[in-house]
Amino acid sequence: MRKQFILTTLLAMSFIALHAGGYQVRLQSNRSTGMGLTGTALQMGASSMFYNPGALAMMQTKTDFSLGASGIISRISFQKFESDITAETDNSMSTPFYVYGAGKINEKWAVGLAIYTPYGSSSTWEDSWAGRLLIQNIALQAIFFQPTVAYKITDKIGIGAGLVYATGKVELQKGLNYGADSYVNLEGSTSNIGFNAGLYFQASDELSFGLNYRSEVVMEISGGDATFNVPTAVGASIPASNKFDAALPMPANLDFGVSYQATAKLLVSAEINYVLWGTYKELEFKFEQQGELLNSVNTRDYKNTFIPRIGAEYVFNDMLTFRVGGYYDPSPTNEKYFTPETVSLDNVAFTLGLSITPTENLSIDLSYLQISGLQADKTYEPEQFGGTYKTAAYIPGIGVSYRF
Amino acid sequence: MKLRILFVLVASVSLWACQPEINEFEPTKGNADFSVYMSAGNSLTAGFSDGALFRSGQENSYTAMLAKQFESVGRQGAFKIPFINSEDGVGTQGQTLRTKFVMGFAQDCLGNTSLAPVPANPNATQQELAVLLGTSVAAEGPFHNIGVPGAKITHLLAPGYASLNPFYGRFASNPANAVINEIGIVQPTFFTLWIGNNDVLSYAIAGGAADAITPVEGDPGFGFAASLEAIIMTFKASATGGAIANIPDITDIPYFTTVPYNPIVLQDQALVDQLNAGYAQYNGAMEQFGLPYRINFSLGANPMVIQDPTIQTPPGYEMLRIRQIEADELVLLSIPQDSLKCGFWGSQKPVPGQFILTSDEKSAIESTVSAYNQVIANAAQNHDLALVDMNKVLNQGASTGIKMDGVLFTADFVTGNAFSTDGVHLTPQGNALAANTFIDAINKKYNARIPKVNVADYEAVRLP
Repeated sequence: MRKQFILTTLLAMSFIALHAGGYQVRLQSNRSTGMGLTGTALQMGASSMFYNPGALAMMQTKTDFSLGASGIISRISFQKFESDITAETDNSMSTPFYVYGAGKINEKWAVGLAIYTPYGSSSTWEDSWAGRLLIQNIALQAIFFQPTVAYKITDKIGIGAGLVYATGKVELQKGLNYGADSYVNLEGSTSNIGFNAGLYFQASDELSFGLNYRSEVVMEISGGDATFNVPTAVGASIPASNKFDAALPMPANLDFGVSYQATAKLLVSAEINYVLWGTYKELEFKFEQQGELLNSVNTRDYKNTFIPRIGAEYVFNDMLTFRVGGYYDPSPTNEKYFTPETVSLDNVAFTLGLSITPTENLSIDLSYLQISGLQADKTYEPEQFGGTYKTAAYIPGIGVSYRF
Repeated sequence: MKLRILFVLVASVSLWACQPEINEFEPTKGNADFSVYMSAGNSLTAGFSDGALFRSGQENSYTAMLAKQFESVGRQGAFKIPFINSEDGVGTQGQTLRTKFVMGFAQDCLGNTSLAPVPANPNATQQELAVLLGTSVAAEGPFHNIGVPGAKITHLLAPGYASLNPFYGRFASNPANAVINEIGIVQPTFFTLWIGNNDVLSYAIAGGAADAITPVEGDPGFGFAASLEAIIMTFKASATGGAIANIPDITDIPYFTTVPYNPIVLQDQALVDQLNAGYAQYNGAMEQFGLPYRINFSLGANPMVIQDPTIQTPPGYEMLRIRQIEADELVLLSIPQDSLKCGFWGSQKPVPGQFILTSDEKSAIESTVSAYNQVIANAAQNHDLALVDMNKVLNQGASTGIKMDGVLFTADFVTGNAFSTDGVHLTPQGNALAANTFIDAINKKYNARIPKVNVADYEAVRLP
């Protein structure tokens, strides 16, 4: 009954998330979250379907169900350049989640389905804030469905791959310079496909390696709803209802990890995520009506980033496992094209985790992630809007796994 | 239990989750003393906008914005503005009074309805407007903003100017005063001065047909340079610092750049032939006089025919002192559009000179503005004042546009965000741009850190 309740709660909650570099969110397992969000070189059971499908081939039990969620409490502070004007976002808590189910068909093959939310962003500024002509609020949500198959080539090597079916939804609103209550609201949803493939190598009893590639998924919105709230005098050139096309890339990730069983109780994991943000060159809007006037190409010029991560897990006893970790996630944004729609700073994060294992089959995983977005001066040059930004996110999470 | 753990976890984190703090800006006054600030100038300083003086326009003047920003660097007390107690306000058009313009829908002589500046209250009577303008608010003074709509630099020194200009008369502390006599009453420690626009603009707005450009040389009250010196010296009796702004080129102002020189569009060859036949005699006479002027129409857009009294026709042929306008000559926004569209102005009837700035008039204005600006730059240097290069800002706005805080400023009429519906004065957003330009210059000169305003917080031209 409990499980049912959690599931209901999960589905009732929104699943938006915020700033883990750009708009990527990696909260796909609370065990991983506790260990600095590493997982490529770890045997994570069903959770491996996200972190490395190759490791799924190594699953220890016949069946594994995992689900969990995190609550992202995020804060953005802003101070305009050469000014005493400050602003803060009033972001509602967002709750990325995951649901995994996987099972072994035989000694070699394992299959499963993963549902997770790897990208998302939500910022709510006050409607009248200093940057209202750039953005007032934005919410980006994506849910990935990934049927996965894994094959154990030898006792040491597993490979796996999943087909990703992604659905996404974007809503954003920005002010227009026709008075305080004029704005444009854009809303659209779409779906697309991608893949996730990985290789897991158990080099020795202590040492393992993982390599994983998650492909880019471009969210192409076609015929999204554009609502313009403008004076009637400009209604002829800016119709109140319009349709728009836009494309937002969810970049590819190439992850390489290593983990080492230092003692019987201590497991250490480290990895590098190479995020191919360079694909996000511009955000282009095309409108069905009055395109010549309304169409815009907005430079973003993101760059690829390397995220180093480290984490450790200590098995205290049969009941309790403790975890700790940290990472550095540099901002993929361009100095000159930093907009308040995605406030992504250089992030430093630490993580804590705790698993309670009341029975052999059941594990309750608690995690806590705290991200500090390092204070930095940023400008969006095309609009001559700049200031000092600083962010923080506080993210508790809980998950359950049931294995048999 | 699991849920309780989650709940406790989230609740405790929520309490702990603190807003990251940024404290990057500490306002400092630098080497200036802002405790008593006073501003002088003309309509731009007064907060005149949309062709009238009205309350929210005065509240949104660049100088009212400066007064507010100066509070964080030591300005004290109220910043008193001689408010007009009306949102429709009052402005002058020749000898008649009217309310401010708002954008509305107007029907032209052809029956076409289009967006255009229309009076906010077309039913306001001359009498009630005269009362609004004539009611003295002097008892609420002394005032810190003594900008006077219509004032030239020479006027600020003129005793008894209150009786000539009701915009000063309504707040003059004494009818016998000159505007600069108000300064000694307030004893400012810091001042801003933006004056001289009307010394060319009055001539320009009259199309060069009336009024005169104030000469650079001449005694205080007559010449630009000596008058400026006298005003600055009056401020310096108490002020230890100040800022002085220069004059923008009129060719950057939509009042002079909105109406094209060639609005006579002909699509009918018969009409073209008819017009050319009508001007055949004129062309013949000009050839006979040895004058280079010819009037020719063709299909498409044609330059309008204008009056030009400077054409040297022999005595008795004064009525032939007309010609077609050149591409670089300017047509004023005040030209009656209905006369152009339905009254055969510019084709059969020459446009009166008061609506045109000819090349000669334009170059006289341009060379004067540049001479004034040299005087202003020298004065800023000699008196160790901040020089606010408004000319450069408006020039940049007119040529490439200026982006600030997400707002694009251009010199375009109505849509350019900087200029109000009268084509000369600034919108609140334009005033914010001016205020930030002042703040930049003052910060630099006095090593101060005065916070800037956010231009997106202010309105541009309000559309219906």
